[in-house]
Formats: sequence, C-alpha cells, structure tokens
Amino acid sequence: MSATTQTQAATPSPVLTFLKQPLVVALILIAALLLLGEALSPGFASGQQILRLLIVAALLGIVAAGQNLVILGGREGIDLSVGGVVSLSAIIGGNLMNGTDAGILPAILGCIAAGAVIGLFNGLGVTLLRIPPLVMTLGMLGVLQGLLVVIRNGIPSGRAAPGLSQFVTQPFLLGLPGIIWLWVAIGLLLAFMLGRTVFGHRIYAIGSNEQAAFMAGVPVKRTRIALFMLSGAFAAVAGMCLIGYSGSSFANVGEQYMLPSIIAVVFGGTPLSGGKGGYTGTMAGAVLLVVLQSILTTVHIDESGRQMVFGATLLILMLFYGRGRAMRA
Amino acid sequence: MSKLIMRGVSKAYGATLALRRGDLTVEGGEVHVLIGSNGSGKSTLCKVLAGSVRPDSGEILIDGKAVTITGPHAARTSGIGIFYQELSLAGHRTVAENICLPDMPGGIFVDRAALESRAQRYIALFDTVSGEGFSAEAVVENLRADQRQLVEIMKALATEAPITIFDEPTSALDRAQVDRFFEILRDLKVEGRSIIFISHRMDEIFAIGDRVTVIRDGETVGTEKIADTNPGAVIRLMVGGQDELAPGASAPPATAAARNGAVLTIANFSGKGFANVGFEVAKGEILGFGGLHGQGQSAVLRAIFGANPSSGGTLALSGSAFAPSDPRAAIRRGLAYVSGDRSRDGVISGRPILENVTPIHYLRQKLFLARPSALAERVKPALEALHTKFAGLSHPINSLSGGNQQKIVIARWLIDRPDVLLLDDPTKGIDLSAKADLFSLIRKLAAEGMGIVLYSSEDAELLNNADRILVFNGGKVRRELTGADRTRYNLYQAAYEAA
Repeated sequence: MSATTQTQAATPSPVLTFLKQPLVVALILIAALLLLGEALSPGFASGQQILRLLIVAALLGIVAAGQNLVILGGREGIDLSVGGVVSLSAIIGGNLMNGTDAGILPAILGCIAAGAVIGLFNGLGVTLLRIPPLVMTLGMLGVLQGLLVVIRNGIPSGRAAPGLSQFVTQPFLLGLPGIIWLWVAIGLLLAFMLGRTVFGHRIYAIGSNEQAAFMAGVPVKRTRIALFMLSGAFAAVAGMCLIGYSGSSFANVGEQYMLPSIIAVVFGGTPLSGGKGGYTGTMAGAVLLVVLQSILTTVHIDESGRQMVFGATLLILMLFYGRGRAMRA
Repeated sequence: MSKLIMRGVSKAYGATLALRRGDLTVEGGEVHVLIGSNGSGKSTLCKVLAGSVRPDSGEILIDGKAVTITGPHAARTSGIGIFYQELSLAGHRTVAENICLPDMPGGIFVDRAALESRAQRYIALFDTVSGEGFSAEAVVENLRADQRQLVEIMKALATEAPITIFDEPTSALDRAQVDRFFEILRDLKVEGRSIIFISHRMDEIFAIGDRVTVIRDGETVGTEKIADTNPGAVIRLMVGGQDELAPGASAPPATAAARNGAVLTIANFSGKGFANVGFEVAKGEILGFGGLHGQGQSAVLRAIFGANPSSGGTLALSGSAFAPSDPRAAIRRGLAYVSGDRSRDGVISGRPILENVTPIHYLRQKLFLARPSALAERVKPALEALHTKFAGLSHPINSLSGGNQQKIVIARWLIDRPDVLLLDDPTKGIDLSAKADLFSLIRKLAAEGMGIVLYSSEDAELLNNADRILVFNGGKVRRELTGADRTRYNLYQAAYEAA
C-alpha cells in the first residue's frame, strides 16, 4: 500500500510524461520511419510520396474512426465487419455512380445507409441478443463476404465518377486533395463530439463503467447501437473513397482494413477495454501504419509478410498495454 | 476441557477495527449461538475460524491445543467445517458431486460409486423433506432455492468436522425442513459434535441453542445459557448501554405526512427478495429502513428505482401513478438513488470529476452540448454543498479518497433536485467526516422538502437521522418505529423477530 503511494508521489519529469503520450510516440515513430524509408530508397519521403501516403492513411483513418468509437464504448467492443462494409460500399457506390458525376450523391447516401443498417444489425445483436461483439461482427463479416460473392457473381463491376476520383486524388485546397480535408473534418468533428457533447460523454461513461452509467440514466443500449451504426457508416464512406482512389472495385478490396483499423486505434492510445482515449491518436496511428506498410513494400516484403508484421505489431501493443494495466492496478 | 476456545481475537481492516476482542468458548456436544447486530464483528470472528481471515492477535485452542489457522485448508485439517451461503455451489454439477466437493473420493480419477454412496448418506437424512426432483444426480442449478440450501447443509455435514459453523443456514427453508435440520443437529450433539449457529430468527435460536454468545462493537459481551435467559435479555445484551438516541437528534415530525402530503406512496410492492412492502414518504421526511443486512431493504430501493425488476404492487409519486421500468425513467420522474457500492453503481472510473457529476443534469435538461464552463458553474455549488475536496474538475475521479468519490456521486443529484432521494447504505466504507457532511446535507435537503428514504446498515446512523424506521426481516416490513419507539432495543427486537 505505502509502496504504491510512494511511486505515485514520485512524479516523473514532464519531458518523460510528454514523451510517453501515445500521440507523441506515434509522431516520433512516423518521423523515424520516414527517415528510414528515405535512407533505404531515396525519394521515399518526397512531398509527392508523402501526399500519396496521406491519402492512403485517410482511407484507413476513416475506417478506424468507426472502429475507435466502438472500442471506446467498452464491453469488449470491436467491429470486425468493417472490411466487409468497405467492400460492399465500394460495389454499391461503383454501381450507383457507374462513371457519372450525377450518381455521386445517390451513391454516397446509398452507401452510408447500407453501412448504417449493417451497423444497426451488429448493435442489435450485441445489445438485445447479448452476443459478444467479436462473435457478432465476425459473423456479420462472413455474411457480407457471402453477399459480395452473390452480388458480383465473381465479375468486377461499377466505376467511380470522375468527380469522386478527382476529390480523392487531385489537389483541392492548399494543394491537398479533398479526402485529406474530409479526414481532417472528421477528426475535428469527432474531437468535438467526444469532448463537448453529451453523446460523447455517454460513450466514455458506458465504456468506463456500464453499470454506473445505467444507474445514472445513460441510455446504454441505444448509445452502443449508435456506435456500431457510426462504425458501419464510416466504413461505408471509406469504401466510397476507396473506389474513387482505385477507379473500380475488385474482390474483397476492404479486407485489408480490418486488422490495421484496430491497430491504429490501439496505437493511438485507446485501450481495447474502452472508456478512454480518443480519435486524434488514432489518426497518427493510421499514418504510422501506412508509412510502415510502405516501407515493407519498399524492401520487397509481400502481402503475407506485411500481414504477419501487422499481427505481430498488435500483439506487441497488447503486451505493452497489458503491462500498463497491471502496473496501474 | 472445552472443544474450542477463542481468546482475545482482533482484526483491523485498515483503520477500521472490525473485531476488538472476540472471545468464544464452545463445548463438545453443544449448539452454540453467536449473535450480534450489523457490523458487530460476528462474521469476522467466524471468518477467522474458517481461515478466510487472518487475525491480528489472539489465540485459538482446539481440544486445549493452540492452533494457527492459516487458510481454509488449515481450518479443515484442524477439524472445522463451515456452511457457506448458496454462492459456494457449483451450479452445473450434480447434488452428489457438490456434497463431496471438499474432498472427492478417489485419486486422480473420481470414484463415482464411492461418491454416490457417500453423498447418499446425507441425502437420506433429508429424504422426507427435500421435495420433488431432489436426487443425487440432480443438477444443482435446476433445484429450488430451498433445495439448494439443503445441498449446502449436506455439504457442511459431509465434512464430518468436529466443529461446524452454520451461518444463517435456514433462510430459504420451510418449517418442516427446519424441523428436520434441527433433529439432525440434535443427533450430532449426541455424537459430541460442536455446532456454531448464526441466525436472525430469535425463535430458532431459542429452539436449537444451548448457549448464546453476544458480540457488540467488536467485543464479546457475554455468554448465557439459553435455558436461563429470554429473547428480551439477549437483545438488551446486544444493545448494551448505548444511547437510545443521540443528543440533538431532531424530534420526529410525527404529523409530517398529514401536513405535507406523500411524495412517494407504495403498496403491496413485491419482487425478488421482498414481498408486500407498503409505505409512504412525506415531503421533508427521512424514512429509515432498518434490520439486519440483506433483508430486502436494498432490493426494495433498487426496484423502486427500476434497477431491479419488481413483480407487483402500486407506486405513486406525489399522487400520480408510477411503474418502475429503468433508472432513466425513474430519474425523469424525479427519483434519485445512491448506492453504497460506489465502485459498481456510482463511480465512472477513470473519467474526470466533471463527467461524473453531470449525467443526471444532461438527462433532466435534455442537453445536447456539454460546455465545460457552463457545466462548471452548475457543478461547483453541488460539490461545495458537500464540502468536497478536489484539485480540479478535469482530474480523474479515481484520484480522490473513497469518501470524496461518494460525495461526487451524490453531488450529481444536487444540480437538478429530485423529489425523492433513495439512499442505499450510502456511507459504506467512507470516513467519519464525509459521513457527517453527508448527513448534514440530508437533513438540509429534507428541510427543503425532499422526501428521503435511508437504508443504513449502521444502526446508529438510522436512529440518529431517521424520523421513522421500518424494520425489515425476511423481505417484509416487520415493524414501524416512530417517535420515542425508535430505540436500539426495539430495532433489534423487530430485526430478530420470527420471520
């Protein structure tokens, strides 16, 4: 008892505290990785290349926004279906647009609606049927993968509207493409929502102590369902942007987002147990992962190798956070 | 030579002295009753004997030899068996497996035949009263509550320990089952076994006990032969010379209900753990719930608030009907509830103090935005009303002491005042000055017209603060104490009355 009090009393230096913040750690790592990339392959950290990395990071970051919210809500919250939603959204969006700018608005609305409905099912399963989120969203992922096969019949279909492609890839404002601005807007919106709205405070409350939140009149189930719906909607937006980035959709294009979206959240300082953290760190986490992925590509590590590195990264992070929790207790 | 002697046993939890000087002498072949009010230290004394708590000082002699009980296993080898509350059963296993659980026959592999035959000995003891569906192969979780309690008793009997502790073993049993159990206990006495018996039913204590030891405020105050005493004398021993009412305790506003009208009216209210509870709370009144732990007080309060389901009854708030559904609905109707288990029901751990005070305000005012500066203006007076000490509203609530954390949790009800405040043992585990702050606030809130229901497991708190006390026993209101009747003696007598 007295020993713990003493260690708490001994405040670490402010510099060390600053350096230990997940956001700062991520930013330092990003800078280091960029330098490493530049050393391995000159031109890696050129302006054009960094811009391309940021676009890819924005795609991942938008998926991770929803993942982040679900994880913040606690009770083992996780959304494994995001990859399926990204793929489905890319197909729906591609077909609704079919290469015409007139189709952009219906495509956006259609995709977000589809994502939100999938999230609604996830949320209902988790709250009303009390299915663990891991199982519920994994099941949903299976359903979506099957659905994709049925819809496409194995043939790629749908094309991005020129306007959308331009929004994602061409400079829009201050030399940055629209998707970067969209991502920044989402970042500001979530920071405001989590910090300055009642809904945001309710997310933290149910994530920290669900029973206490319930006793204080927080609509626990409704809030949690909303989180899964938001996750579906964000994944759908990312799917739309993805088809704008690549022009057309190909098989299971969204699959690559499931694991990285979780790693970005954890890297950004939101523990998988929920109740604390936020989106700013997750944004840095997304950039970090994309830079890491790019370096792995530069040194000719193929997709399977990259997956292994990502999996190992998540496990190492868990080890790190697990130890942190034990020390706090 | 006495079978068991415990001398000068003490135990402190942090700064709280749970047991000051526990003495207990149990002879072979007797049923020895242990009795004491809430928090008197009788459970601690039992836990020391069962090996789940290590005493700070004192000595234990069994058959005249000093023993050190280092843990539950050491207790078993010293010849002490214990009846646990229902929680100790393995729900998915059979009756036979549960009975033999403390020491399974066979080596690595369980000898099923030996297990069944051993279990059957104890099952047979209760053959006539165990009811339908009770057998060695029955799965415990499919049994009724009384049958599960019989399994607990059989499990305790199966230890064949020379000294067996039964802590409230009859709470779920019917008359015939209790009678059979007592016959079995008398047979054990004849065999020379010692039984330590804890019960809150005075009639049972006098039916089965040979001697009774009374514990008060962590100290053994006396041991009497049951044949030479009576319930009144035992209760007087429990009460001791303690003040009936603290000086300065307010005179009860006996006609409060008539003068102000009821803010909360409840009739025939039933649910899990309580039945047919009915009462009124007047504007400005502090209604106390008393009695021993877990007699339905907390269950009633949680059910009113909608946190636990209820099965029937009528409720009205200031005359208009109210059906409890969930806390959210209750809060909107002007109810408030403070739990004594703050880490479970109250504290939003790891979050800033501000976010811990505001949830009720958000709900009552249907807010969408949470503007820190505007909220701080609302929150600060609420915290000051309780003299809460905190460094800043953005600091995590976990940085505060237990008493201050509970103040934060209570403060959330003070921004938008409720009509009725339900306090469910709100001072559990908080320091004296926090308690004093809390009670002076409660008095003030009542004076301003709030209706307050206070359940406290500390009898002194009730006697000093409640205008009226309903004494619970076995899920029912046994007695109402008003005016000069609000004495410790009456409280204990009603608490130990036959259920």
